[in-house]
Amino acid sequence: MSLPDTLKMFTAVAALSVAASVCAQAPDADTIVERANLAAYYAGADGRSEARMRIFDAQGNEQRRQFTVLRRNPTPAGDQQFLVVFSQPADVRGTTFLVHKNVGGDDDRWLYLPGLDLVKRIAAGDKRTSFVGSHYYYEDVSGRRPDEDHHELVGTDDEHFQLRHRPVDPSSVEFAEYTTWIDRETWLPMRIEYRDASGRPIRRVEVQKVETIGGHPTVTASRISDLVGGGHTDMQFRFIDYDLGLPDGVFTERALRNPPADWLERPGS
Amino acid sequence: MSRWYLALCTAGLLAFSSFVPAQEDDWDDWGEDDAWSETSEPTWTGFVEVAAGSRWQEDDAVGRYATLGELRARLERTWTFDGALANNRLDLRLDALGDAVVDDLDASVRELAWGFSTGRWDWRTGRQVLTWGTGDLLFLNDLFPKGWVSFFIGRDDEYLKVPSDAVRLTGYFDAVNLDIVAIPSFTPDEWLTGERLSFYSPAAGGIVAPEPPLSAHDPSMSVANTEWALRAFRNVQGNELALYGYSGFYHQPSPTGPNGALEYAEMRALGASWRRPLGPGLFNAEVSRYDSTDDPDGTDPAIPNDQYRFLLGYEWEAARNFNVAFQYYVEWTLNHDALLANSPWPEDEVDERRTWLTNRLTWRTRQERVTWSLFTFWSPTDNDHYLRPQVTWRMNDTWQLAAGGNLFGGRHPNTFFAQFEDDSNVYARLRFNY
Repeated sequence: MSLPDTLKMFTAVAALSVAASVCAQAPDADTIVERANLAAYYAGADGRSEARMRIFDAQGNEQRRQFTVLRRNPTPAGDQQFLVVFSQPADVRGTTFLVHKNVGGDDDRWLYLPGLDLVKRIAAGDKRTSFVGSHYYYEDVSGRRPDEDHHELVGTDDEHFQLRHRPVDPSSVEFAEYTTWIDRETWLPMRIEYRDASGRPIRRVEVQKVETIGGHPTVTASRISDLVGGGHTDMQFRFIDYDLGLPDGVFTERALRNPPADWLERPGS
Repeated sequence: MSRWYLALCTAGLLAFSSFVPAQEDDWDDWGEDDAWSETSEPTWTGFVEVAAGSRWQEDDAVGRYATLGELRARLERTWTFDGALANNRLDLRLDALGDAVVDDLDASVRELAWGFSTGRWDWRTGRQVLTWGTGDLLFLNDLFPKGWVSFFIGRDDEYLKVPSDAVRLTGYFDAVNLDIVAIPSFTPDEWLTGERLSFYSPAAGGIVAPEPPLSAHDPSMSVANTEWALRAFRNVQGNELALYGYSGFYHQPSPTGPNGALEYAEMRALGASWRRPLGPGLFNAEVSRYDSTDDPDGTDPAIPNDQYRFLLGYEWEAARNFNVAFQYYVEWTLNHDALLANSPWPEDEVDERRTWLTNRLTWRTRQERVTWSLFTFWSPTDNDHYLRPQVTWRMNDTWQLAAGGNLFGGRHPNTFFAQFEDDSNVYARLRFNY
């Protein structure tokens, strides 16, 4: 971790403790983003969840995906690992996807195609492209680094902090800015709206359901909409479990080729 | 091949698809807890595919237009077992094929492999597809069998890999990971026999399609003839490093038997590869040395000479949903002077340093449902090329349509890609997944 990162984290921690002690005062934008990042992507030291998606195009044609996600984050807001194992539809069954999210740089991502016994590495550049044909991007699955945007607190109401985010490197993304509505109680981003340079909304994420699981408020249903081309994807999460004690080995090439059945099994099954 | 056969295939596919419930029951009641299909529950899956492909002119040597005309049915299932062994599973993939081009009905096992884990080792025994190395459609250290005919006539990419009957043992350690593969019964490449595609024959001095098709004598199954493939690999901070070793046979035959009968010459290989992120994309480099153990000094023109193979590659997302990849590849034939001096057809022998440049363009549109791609091989040393345009349309989770071409050309018919000029073809495949 570089010195500025360390400082930032120190500042964030300091800001949090100040926020906690003087809780009447609204925290600053960076602090809210840090907390939202933790709430949305770092619940527990690790986790397991099953997910399924219904993907609708502008004409209403539907496609579906079902997969299990394992996640591990040894340190809060630090590096993370994800393993995604697809079970539906038939032609992607057995496909696995491994992400090593590096807070200090680009993520490492691999896809395993069992039909070819091929471990395919995915270039870091294309993280804002569709995740398995859905309206979710790869980056939505593993999270966008907070330091990739400038954050500004633009409003506060009883339920939400409203923030506006502008990319540090505008050429790396398809949007000019986005606005998030972050729940003041759970710190979860409940709504995200992306706009282009002319201010036109182009993409929207809405959280439809939050449940508290193992003490962690968890998104269990959300919708992402393409406001330009039309179409949307509904995503649901079930069979969620936190703090399983997932070992390092679950997030290696070994697991990519040979997914760890013990950890992928549904809790209680 | 008759048109009615394909019509019948298509009708069969449509009829079949209407009988299969397409697993709607698993998915129908979205929102109901119990509608979540159990992921570990074994189910039969697979596809039925009808495919047709043709040259745009009759090939004089083969004597027909058709390159591809088939109905294929796939059955797939994975069984998992609880017990003392971790990750204990059996994978089955079975293909039934009705092939109208060569009038054949065939069933083949693509995969029947039993796998489990013990401590740091993963075992996998049986028929399985094996792949490693960093090249994209270029193979240096991947000396597992390839389906060249399938590749050239436009079957799904999956069929470029021919399964091996193997025992694979993979060990994962802190210092390095190890792959040890033993293949007791040799499986050759699906090479050009003249049955479906024509090719250049130095002896004939032109394009031929032998009748009856060529056949070769496989090495007998024995301990001595067991192929060994080894890999040591490690990921060091995003750098994927690997060392490779192979001992076995060339997968394409040489006329080394009595009266020029085709046999597989022995070979060994050693190599290394490196892949890492670089800038916005991925860089890879690979090298391999082939030792032709039956012809170490290169004086037997029937047997391939020793070679070095080098590869450099880079791929990146040049624009949103548009990926570009380039590869630079050199096959450096050693003892080239000895090859020319001993060859009955020195003018047909490969250049000492044959170079290929490849380019892959991939454009994903309509929410990744339509993918346009073009893969180009071009050899500045051979003055020939091979273009592979393809569009795939994923209509929905069950229906998929692919159409494309395999376009060969070049200045001299005795170079690798130019010899297939009359085999240039276009194809379409319609697949129903269940």
